[in-house]
Amino acid sequence: MTDDSDRFKLKGSIDAYGMSHVGKVREVNEDHFFLAAATKALTVQQTNLDNVHAFDHLKQSEAHLFVVADGVGSIGGGRLASGTAVQALGTYIGRTMGCYYSFDVEGENEFLENLENAVQHAHKTVQREYSSHGKGPATTLTMVALIWPRAYIIHVGDSRAYYLRKGRLRQLTRDQTMGELMIDEGIMKEEQVERSSLGSTLSSAIGAEILPSVGLIDLEWNDVMLLCTDGLTRHVGDDGIAEILQRTPNAKTACEQLVDAALEGGGRDNVTVVVGKMNSAENG
Amino acid sequence: MIQKKICMVGMFATGKTSLVQKFVYSKFSEKYHSTVGVKIDRKQVEVEGTTVNLLLWDLAGKDEFQDVPASYLRGSGGLFYVVDGTRRETLEQLYALHEMAHETVGDVPTTVALNKKDLTDQWLLRTDDYDTLSDHGLHALGTSAKTGEGVEEAFLWLAAATIKS
Repeated sequence: MTDDSDRFKLKGSIDAYGMSHVGKVREVNEDHFFLAAATKALTVQQTNLDNVHAFDHLKQSEAHLFVVADGVGSIGGGRLASGTAVQALGTYIGRTMGCYYSFDVEGENEFLENLENAVQHAHKTVQREYSSHGKGPATTLTMVALIWPRAYIIHVGDSRAYYLRKGRLRQLTRDQTMGELMIDEGIMKEEQVERSSLGSTLSSAIGAEILPSVGLIDLEWNDVMLLCTDGLTRHVGDDGIAEILQRTPNAKTACEQLVDAALEGGGRDNVTVVVGKMNSAENG
Repeated sequence: MIQKKICMVGMFATGKTSLVQKFVYSKFSEKYHSTVGVKIDRKQVEVEGTTVNLLLWDLAGKDEFQDVPASYLRGSGGLFYVVDGTRRETLEQLYALHEMAHETVGDVPTTVALNKKDLTDQWLLRTDDYDTLSDHGLHALGTSAKTGEGVEEAFLWLAAATIKS
């Protein structure tokens, strides 16, 4: 159980790293990633209040933002779409995000709406920039905003967010593809989707039609968060990903080994990973 | 506009996500997807002349690996419990979940969806189960996320109860 008094008190550190590779086949890397941290701190310089510790909880309030995006479109168009989307998202959040000292229901909902608005802003920016391209380029976008211990996830497309806890890897997002849609509607079976191209055809994408999915999870120290594009998951299974996330000492090494594994598996697509390791202070 | 956070609570695979999907998107999928963490959807409803924006927090069901974290329940304006009418244990374990939730959020309006009502030949709940729910002060309603039976009624009943509380 997470007690409110523990909220925002970082009893450890968040080690985050991102990496993107063009792969072995493609000529252009159409993936982008983005890591950012926002820090708010009230540092008491002088007071004659009796309780100087009343402000301790405001000393360290950090928001971490992890984003991956995988562009799709004609040659080079996907790269433009994912780059534009990530830049627009980062700019919007940088300008508007700030109220994360304490959440009541209204405050938390407002914060979530703000994140969703940032995704909508990215979507509209991509549409506006490339509307003259006819059926313009589009992009997936998976974002985690982490305000310890809560990770808010907004997801469009088939890039993924996972978390690893006590050796068990769980996928936090569901792929938004035509294949998944067909299975859900009972129109096709999984085997039929696997044999078709629908498994990789997006049913929701920034710049096209979007239906953002919103979720959250409360993290624990020693959990590992992973965001990745399908260049990783088409070559490395859940067991392989879990093994790498578990054995690596830091986020940078984890990213390097995940990318290496994807390349060894064939590297048919661009591969992008963002890893966040929640390092407990108790582990030194 | 009034906003109310409603938490969907129950054992795993009782149909919490399916009920939300039916209510919000009028969709039903036979394929089971285990919810990880919390999935959030919104739906605006009109109850007794008042517009209410329901924030539906679909919580991962309790199973052998995970409890329902109390932190997710904080700030709830209502609790929507879901029982699988074809698995008696999901009703038996509901009372412990209710006790935990009550300790966390206090007296908030609750409803219990006795779900999968379309599976009549596998239905295991008896009349005295309904009496026991009533004895615990829990409002219950039969639902089927597949056919839609009782789904709208259950959510609207809870929405109305939250604005009265």
